[in-house]
Amino acid sequence: MSRDFLVVLEHYDQFLAGLWNTLWLAGTTLVLASIAGCVVAALMLSPQKLIRSPVSLLVDGMRCVPFLLLAYLVYYGLPGLGLQFDSWTCGISALIIYHTAYIAEIVRGAWTNLSRDQIEAGKAFGFAGFLLFWRLILPQLFFASAPVIGNQTVQILKDTAFLMIITVPELTFAATSVQATYFVPFASFIAAMGLYWLVTLAIEATVNRIEAAAEIRRAA
Amino acid sequence: MSLFAFNAQGLVKSWRLIVTLLVTLGVASISSAQAQSLQEKIKNGQPVVIATEDDYRPFEFIQDGKPAGLDNELFQIMKSEAKFDLRQEILPWTGLLAGVSTGKYDAAVTGALINKERVKVFDFAMPIAENTHYYLKRKNDNSIKEIKDLSGKTVGVQSGSVLFARLPELEAMLAKTGGKLGKVVQYTSYPEAYQDLAAGRVDYVVNGQINLLAITAEKPGIFEIGQAVSGPSYVAWPVKKGNKEMLDYLNAFLKKMRDSGKLVELQQKWLKVTFKDLPEHVEPSF
Amino acid sequence: MTSQLPVLLQGALVTAWVSITAIALGVPLGLLLAVIRWQRVPVLSPLVAGYVSLIRATPAITLALLIFFAIPSLGLVLSAATAAVLTLTLNTSAFNCEIWRAALIDFSRDQLEAARAYGMRPWLTFRRIIFPQIVKTSLPALVNEMTLLIKASPALAVIGIVDLTRAASRIGAATYEPLPPFIAATILYMLLVLTFVGAQRLAERYVRKKLIVA
Repeated sequence: MSRDFLVVLEHYDQFLAGLWNTLWLAGTTLVLASIAGCVVAALMLSPQKLIRSPVSLLVDGMRCVPFLLLAYLVYYGLPGLGLQFDSWTCGISALIIYHTAYIAEIVRGAWTNLSRDQIEAGKAFGFAGFLLFWRLILPQLFFASAPVIGNQTVQILKDTAFLMIITVPELTFAATSVQATYFVPFASFIAAMGLYWLVTLAIEATVNRIEAAAEIRRAA
Repeated sequence: MSLFAFNAQGLVKSWRLIVTLLVTLGVASISSAQAQSLQEKIKNGQPVVIATEDDYRPFEFIQDGKPAGLDNELFQIMKSEAKFDLRQEILPWTGLLAGVSTGKYDAAVTGALINKERVKVFDFAMPIAENTHYYLKRKNDNSIKEIKDLSGKTVGVQSGSVLFARLPELEAMLAKTGGKLGKVVQYTSYPEAYQDLAAGRVDYVVNGQINLLAITAEKPGIFEIGQAVSGPSYVAWPVKKGNKEMLDYLNAFLKKMRDSGKLVELQQKWLKVTFKDLPEHVEPSF
Repeated sequence: MTSQLPVLLQGALVTAWVSITAIALGVPLGLLLAVIRWQRVPVLSPLVAGYVSLIRATPAITLALLIFFAIPSLGLVLSAATAAVLTLTLNTSAFNCEIWRAALIDFSRDQLEAARAYGMRPWLTFRRIIFPQIVKTSLPALVNEMTLLIKASPALAVIGIVDLTRAASRIGAATYEPLPPFIAATILYMLLVLTFVGAQRLAERYVRKKLIVA
């Protein structure tokens, strides 16, 4: 067993390369899906039913489908409609589309729970338009939804593992490759799990910092 | 806000996790798999478990819900002649060899190739076929006519396979004509690689000649086989290194198949090509 | 395409029974783990905390691969089906533990103290007072986790389980027309998830009528 872990350590470069790809995929998805999620949330809150209904339907639909199926649809299905992209593009697109729906739902929930008092007070003081949004609304949304978005980030991290099936060389792919060539399954996957766990701890620590900052804001 | 500064909660959590990991590793190292010998299993009435791959034409695959192919038919004969409980587990390639190496399966009756890395961990029975590596291209792709045209093009190959491990041979061939190996895309299984070849995501796929013959017979208008990209490569059944009883059992069975002519007959049926002078033992050069 | 429908339906059946079995095992297991943490049982409580933290951070695919290939090295023989159910059960039990635990932590002290004052034994308190209320509180989160489990089930394809997603991709890889089976699979998944959500509404109505006497 210890021999197995030595083999894994020998090939640490493969694991680190896989980890780097995983982090890149997760980070890019988080940023782009957050922005798109806010836009979609705004659409879902639109007073016009013509915009609200189809968008809400799409978001609900996206939340009923397994991520791997979406990845397959993008990778194998789209070429049937004439759109073919390489595995990386397909992977990141599927991740962004999928998690935009979830983040939109989270932002929408946070929006409906906004403290009306603060906003009315702000309006009374003359805040309007962009400034109102940037100084009053956005910080509230951000701090209110931080824990849930933190959970979503961990989910994004874990969904990247599915992309190994469409040949994206992320962390689980690296672990599978090493164990297939050198027959060290336990050590290989434990190493991968350990790395996922470390990243998750970092995410949770960040969320805790944000929550602490939110507390200070609330007290002040 | 430092992303990597653990607060007190995180530290406590990591302490708990370290404890859990140590316990797991402790348990794992105490009880490492002891592969029971064949005799012990037969005596205790325990089943002997053979693993086969779920989609590796023409050696083993599923047709209309039933196992088919050269390895599956040979296994059926073995099962009918065995006086003990012989069972089959069908699973994807990813776990096949690892399962044999940890003793989960007593042997794999599969189209596995012999190479240096593998003989460190496995003993192979006598080969059932020779399966030199060739490349497959789209029939309508006129940019590839010989080996040197492969330079810089994207290749699809199965992850963790000997075909992937022996790509350096192709690299050497390309270097002779001043070319180099292009991007390598690794797939979980070959049907997905062929699908991507047809779609244009990869330019050629490297697999054994026998496998490529099977796919071109299935989809004649789409694919075409090119030239050899490796030296001789043999297909044999692996058992865990040191499992002499299982090895002897398989070799005795295969000798019987060879001497009775049944092996050649099945090779013709499934592989569409026969190998009459296979060596009984192979020392891999790669 | 219609000739492939039985293959797809068989895949859907596999997804359904693996999911239901894992849920049936994982929800009570999660409750047990939550109670261990809530009662701060020595030795077990930190182990459970570590286990939950690790499992919640592990992707389903990685966990499935670990269980299928590494458990045999502990001497246990495991079929693909058992490994599949075990993977999903362990995964969901970790998340369910946190869901149940949140409900337990939020449980009002007053009721617990009142029960104590009346001389109710711990097990009776749990059965008659705590359990019905935490079921009501946790139901939405538990059902949400069930739908997440169904959506994680395609990960089992890597250990040889022909679930709905793998069945669809196999059909696509054989016919080179992947779009129809994938769309059919999408519809089937939606039906599965909607069934669970529908069952949740029924369960909520039952809980409101039968379990809460107020």
